[in-house]
Amino acid sequence: MMEILANFFGAFLPEWMVTLLIILIKVVAIVLPLILLVAYATYAERKIIGFMQVRVGPNRVGFKGLLQPFADMFKLIFKEIVIPARSNRFLFLIAPLLAMGPAFAAWAVIPFSDGMVLADVNAGLLFLLALTSLGVYGVIIAGWASNSKYAQLSALRIGAQMVSYEIAMGFALVGVLMASGSLNLGDIVRAQSGSIFSWFVWPLFGLFLVYFISGVAETNRAPFDVAEGESEIVAGFHVEYSGMAFSIFFLAEYANMWLIAALTSLMFLGGWLSPFQGLTFLTDMPVLGRVFGDGIHWLLLKASFFMLLFFWFRATFPRYRYDQIMRLGWKILIPITLVWIFAEGLAIALGWKPWL
Amino acid sequence: MFELDRSQYPQKKADGTLDIDLTSGKYLKLWQGPQHPGITGNMAIELTVCGDEVVDATTHVGYLHRGFEKLMERRTFMQCFPIVCRICVPEPDFNEYCYAAAVEELAGLEIPELAHWIRTLILEMGRVNSYLMYLGGQAGAFGQGVIGQWTTYVRDLMLDRFEELTGARIYHMFIIPGGVRDNLPDGFAGRMEETLREIESVLADVDRVMFHNAVFKKRAVGVGVIDTAWLDSYGITGPNARAAGVAKDVRKDQPYLVYPELDFEAVTGKDSDIYTRADVRRRDLLLSLDLIRQILAKMPKTGAVMTKLPNVLHWKIPRGETYVRGECSRGEYGYYLVTDGSGYPRRVNVRGPSYTHSIALFERMVINANISDVAALLVSLHTYPPEIER
Repeated sequence: MMEILANFFGAFLPEWMVTLLIILIKVVAIVLPLILLVAYATYAERKIIGFMQVRVGPNRVGFKGLLQPFADMFKLIFKEIVIPARSNRFLFLIAPLLAMGPAFAAWAVIPFSDGMVLADVNAGLLFLLALTSLGVYGVIIAGWASNSKYAQLSALRIGAQMVSYEIAMGFALVGVLMASGSLNLGDIVRAQSGSIFSWFVWPLFGLFLVYFISGVAETNRAPFDVAEGESEIVAGFHVEYSGMAFSIFFLAEYANMWLIAALTSLMFLGGWLSPFQGLTFLTDMPVLGRVFGDGIHWLLLKASFFMLLFFWFRATFPRYRYDQIMRLGWKILIPITLVWIFAEGLAIALGWKPWL
Repeated sequence: MFELDRSQYPQKKADGTLDIDLTSGKYLKLWQGPQHPGITGNMAIELTVCGDEVVDATTHVGYLHRGFEKLMERRTFMQCFPIVCRICVPEPDFNEYCYAAAVEELAGLEIPELAHWIRTLILEMGRVNSYLMYLGGQAGAFGQGVIGQWTTYVRDLMLDRFEELTGARIYHMFIIPGGVRDNLPDGFAGRMEETLREIESVLADVDRVMFHNAVFKKRAVGVGVIDTAWLDSYGITGPNARAAGVAKDVRKDQPYLVYPELDFEAVTGKDSDIYTRADVRRRDLLLSLDLIRQILAKMPKTGAVMTKLPNVLHWKIPRGETYVRGECSRGEYGYYLVTDGSGYPRRVNVRGPSYTHSIALFERMVINANISDVAALLVSLHTYPPEIER
């Protein structure tokens, strides 16, 4: 399809412009569905948590409340952005963008299906680690620029928490990198092909748990949401934000959740690979074979499952205290990853690869 | 008397105040309330924190003062009723009972046997409501919203029972001097039994999701311990005292209404931390459900519910004073009533457990606590600001 577009634009545009245009179209093709996914993640969250809490959830705007995310969005767009007195105006306004930028830019290297990726870079994993680390700047700057004690406390907590869990997360990915022998996300997924038993989740189960738990902590979701614990520091770093500035933080949080969900599926659950691969009688069926075969729908399904876990945690878990979070990260998760990596390295050195 | 470990915290100056220099950058003054999602009502807590720990705390109340005690001095004895029940929103019946009992004692009224039973039933129903709200609040203070939604659902069923019994959901005004307004409606016991079963099934879920939750235990066990030595000096009563292992229960110690005829033991705990206090209240709630069953089984079915009152507009009560006490869900509740022979109370003083618990005790136990735990500590004492202020 991209060739058709390139030929069409190539007829009347110079070549560099065609390349740029194609990239822009690809970016829009990723970002628009992503924003839609984010919007409906909020709807799904409210419906699912509503179900768990014996209530209905949004059901007024549109059929079964399906237009509720748009109603919320329009409301937030038309609200005034109140800038607190004696705050740093420039930093106050740039902070939401710093939070959202990395959350969206990370999607550049995510392979949605075989070859379906914006930038097929070889150091994709490093790029991801770098970008997810950048997200903390937006939050810290927001807390500092707000000129509020609650926001400041939250910024301190979130800074320490995200930096600590970054380490556990990085170590978990080191295990994946060792198992697959590549930093390219597409190659990592292809290394898991074969059958459902060649997914990395089986040999790297501990790392899988550590990665997802760190991911929950990284996105500041319950039970690790001390940065916005409403009974302690009201709303934390975004307590002074209103209107669109607040909704950009909101967007960044949910985009990050989708990112963690997609990454967990890619690294450990075979990404776009079908769980039925290897069962040729299913994948070779005339029409249903497309459903049972590999494809983007499996990635979406797996990521949605992790999103459901995010919502489930939020509905049923109380919040950890801040020092307990740090203890969990440093004293439990990081040692687990270190031991696992050591054992895995030993297995590789002895030429014994159970996952292949 | 109870000296704290203040090695790294501010020293005491000669006049007893703490040497806190806010300009040093070591301390931060943090206000919580009067509008704060973690505070259970309109009160403010002024915290001085050093890092994450509280070194000094002051409570500020008065945002909800309505002057009820003074208002009652200008109302006839009957007109006080819409006032007393508004002292405590989640459990208004206790105010009605204590006030009615005080008036009856001074006026020398004897109330019928059936009215005693119905009063006890209403008090226990109110206790169930109050505990259900507490459980939701305690989980909510730790960020676990689901418990609050579940308990609100079953509390709504209990409010339905209140509605068919009294005609009102929140402020019932059913217990009046001389008895209660009416007998139970037909089939009330059966519908109550269904409600009790639903509450028990939800409480089983609450037990699994809240009390057996690893994170909840981590937050609540060993946090906010009340020393048994404080009990008398701070005037701690009710579940807060029982969680410390002291079986203080006015229902047992000085039985009133029909409690002597009911079969129960005061619920006690051992550790006196947030978890034990929550657990004592959960078991006390189960006890209340049991008491409601006992009351419905043992009570007489027919009979008078009211004694003949004099004309309430010109009702004069002879000179006298009395103190009526009872065990509400938060602790000992008392009404001190003075009359001077006129048609109005000379003085009404309400002794609510919220005041003693949430001012002196809270200011003491919040010292050295983590700021994350402040809201949970306040909720774990089970206090209501409307009752603090009156």
